[in-house]
Amino acid sequence: MSKEYAILPCNGLDKCAGCAAGELAIRLSEETGSEIICPVFYRVADTRYNRIAKEKPLLVIDGCASRCASKLAAEKGLKIVKKVNISEEAKSAGIALKTDSLRLGETEKLLIGNLADRLKTEEDTAESGQETSFFPAQLTYDTYQKDKFMFRIPEEEAFFFNENDVWAYVSGGKARIGVTDYVQQSLSDIMFFTAPNVGAEISQFDEVGSLESGKAVFEIVSPVSGTVTRVNEDLLNEPERINQNPYEQGWIAEIELADFEEDKGLLYDFNGYFPIMKRKVDEFHV
Amino acid sequence: MSGETFMGVPREKIDWSPRIDYNKCNDCMECVKFCPHKVYEVREEGGQRLVVKNPENCVVFCRACGKACGVDAISFPNKSETTAHIKQVRKEMEANE
Ligand code: SF4
Ligand code: SF4
Repeated sequence: MSKEYAILPCNGLDKCAGCAAGELAIRLSEETGSEIICPVFYRVADTRYNRIAKEKPLLVIDGCASRCASKLAAEKGLKIVKKVNISEEAKSAGIALKTDSLRLGETEKLLIGNLADRLKTEEDTAESGQETSFFPAQLTYDTYQKDKFMFRIPEEEAFFFNENDVWAYVSGGKARIGVTDYVQQSLSDIMFFTAPNVGAEISQFDEVGSLESGKAVFEIVSPVSGTVTRVNEDLLNEPERINQNPYEQGWIAEIELADFEEDKGLLYDFNGYFPIMKRKVDEFHV
Repeated sequence: MSGETFMGVPREKIDWSPRIDYNKCNDCMECVKFCPHKVYEVREEGGQRLVVKNPENCVVFCRACGKACGVDAISFPNKSETTAHIKQVRKEMEANE
């Protein structure tokens, strides 16, 4: 059975990627029972569209890195279930979108067709796996407060941090990773989590997924090297868990460690990271 | 922010900052808006408008503004080479203590 969405496309008429986003939305609405939300009209009158967005899972189609459609969804408080970015899809398919014309050519149409087929059949998200006992049931935190913002850091010895505000809890050849409160507070409401692939081999400081809010995109910089064995699938539907607690229900992934003794040389423990985070909070947090 | 360190290594010894391909850059300034660290500067006069003014302000291993660039004009140094370099410098510093 094909899937039905409420589709919020970018409709940047002055860019090929925007026109492609619009075209993909039209294809999906023709081929499935999906309904299109017009981003322009949505700004002036939103009752009808809010209803559609409630009834069907929301698919956001961004044209380029400006992510206007995602930002609009954030502004309207909509819950994004699926997302595609035309420019990124083109890049990973090795396709160069037209720059000299706004009319879609054969290559663009082919890309749109492939994306439409994928979106029609793709499952939302898999069931989340069972809890493991390798992570402590309860953590103790030290906190730093600035105005009304609280920044927690777990004190347990098995926690390590990199300067890119990502933590690793290390136990028995395995690590669980996530972002710190600094990231979560700076991004504010996190709307979307792009997971790393299970099975991916990561070296230290590689990207392991990204987070996105109305404000910015945050690339998660891995504190450790190894193989991704599990991702927190709850985050795909509820990325707000990261805002609630990025150390517990908001963890990102688990990694089978390759050489932690080596990685450790470029990581901080609690005592090393706490003053760094404090300084960042004082310098940048508004 | 002089006198900064990254993992104990003086920041100026680490070559990490965005590289701009001016053939692609269209001066949209998304990267400038994106980065809170005052790495970029916008020049009002003369040729190039966007300049990487304070490369040492760039957070080592951050590549975030690269994603904000719609035309993919921003690149970064090789990550493994940078990591190896940091380790090397740390070794030298230890030896000199
Ligand atoms: S990589 Fe990060 S810190 Fe460096 S200029 Fe870009 S956003 Fe700023
Ligand atoms: S985001 Fe890209 S195109 Fe825009 S000013 Fe920066 S480098 Fe240039």
